[in-house]
Amino acid sequence: MILNSFYAFLSSLGFGVLFNIRGKNLIIASLGGGLAWLTYLISGRLQPSLVFSLFLASMVGSIYSEIMARLYKNPVTMFIICAIIPLVPGGGMYYATLEAVKGNFTVALTKGAETLFSAGAIAVGIVLVASISTIFKKIKK
Amino acid sequence: MYTDDIIQIAAEAGKIILENGGETYRVEQTITMICNSYGIPRTESFVTPTGVMISITNNKNQTISLIRRIHIRTVNLRKVSMINNLSRQLVSNPLSIVDIKREIDYINNLPAYSQKTTTFFSACCAGFFTLLFGGNYKDFFIAFIIGALINYLSLFLDKFEVNSFLKNMLSGSLAALIALIATSLHLVGNMDTIIIGSIMLLVPGIAITNAIRDTIAGDLVSGISRSIEALFIAIAISSGTSIVFKIWFLLFGGTLI
Repeated sequence: MILNSFYAFLSSLGFGVLFNIRGKNLIIASLGGGLAWLTYLISGRLQPSLVFSLFLASMVGSIYSEIMARLYKNPVTMFIICAIIPLVPGGGMYYATLEAVKGNFTVALTKGAETLFSAGAIAVGIVLVASISTIFKKIKK
Repeated sequence: MYTDDIIQIAAEAGKIILENGGETYRVEQTITMICNSYGIPRTESFVTPTGVMISITNNKNQTISLIRRIHIRTVNLRKVSMINNLSRQLVSNPLSIVDIKREIDYINNLPAYSQKTTTFFSACCAGFFTLLFGGNYKDFFIAFIIGALINYLSLFLDKFEVNSFLKNMLSGSLAALIALIATSLHLVGNMDTIIIGSIMLLVPGIAITNAIRDTIAGDLVSGISRSIEALFIAIAISSGTSIVFKIWFLLFGGTLI
């Protein structure tokens, strides 16, 4: 589990470089990816729903990013993108395509719907955290 | 004259953020902040992913407006962050017009990571995603090679200004093709994880994130256009891989999978 999260960290690091993030921001942003993936794995052990795990992971990743953005005075996007990247359902997309090519349209549609739900869960996670963080901003003022 | 300079600077700053992967509201906020810090009483800006429109009214009630069209869309979050911080600094400490022009020029011309570095890291990216999705060390090396090749391909296609649909489609095809060849040569354990790991490189992460953030910030036009962008990228990747699969099946039969 820890090793897997470390891989997620390294993948996010690669993405951070592709997005031209530099210096300590790069490490901080990539740690978000590792943290989100760790949440996903832990949640996957505790309950069976994949979509809910993705939702939790995206929330944890977003909360981490919001906090880091405040601490290090950088745009939230910089951190959120690296935190979310490992969760993006590339696998679902691939399996849906593969089954469609093989002619198993029922399986392809199931996989496609699963991919859409996963993407939706990630989106809702980001939206919730971003919306709640605006409340905090208002309170601070 | 003075108002002219300010609107130019604001447009330039906004354009840099938009071209390098910033959200729509951030562009509007930056434009407003820059104009306000130079004492412009009224600023309105309307930003979409394809253009910036600004209209400002100065103290003498003269109104001028400016439109900047955006054609390039890359990702360079360092520039976004630096322009963002610059505009916030201006509020407390306004620079002279010459200084801020120089500052924006400096940020805009900052070098990106070198070609070798991006190639290496995109290779690492594909490789570690493959490990993440359950591949073994043999799979890692194949994905590592695919990642590097995808980077070279996109740099090569950039020279001809190929649009992103074709670029993603060809990259997806390349990933599928190499994975299929490697599998048929019995070099790998699991073809699926290699392809998934490599197409993660192409996945529209920034478009999705910005689409969500724009939509909740109330920039509905930008939100929808970025979602369509993300959808099109996804369609391009999966059609690229599926075309290669289909041709491979037709030529060699479906025995491999």
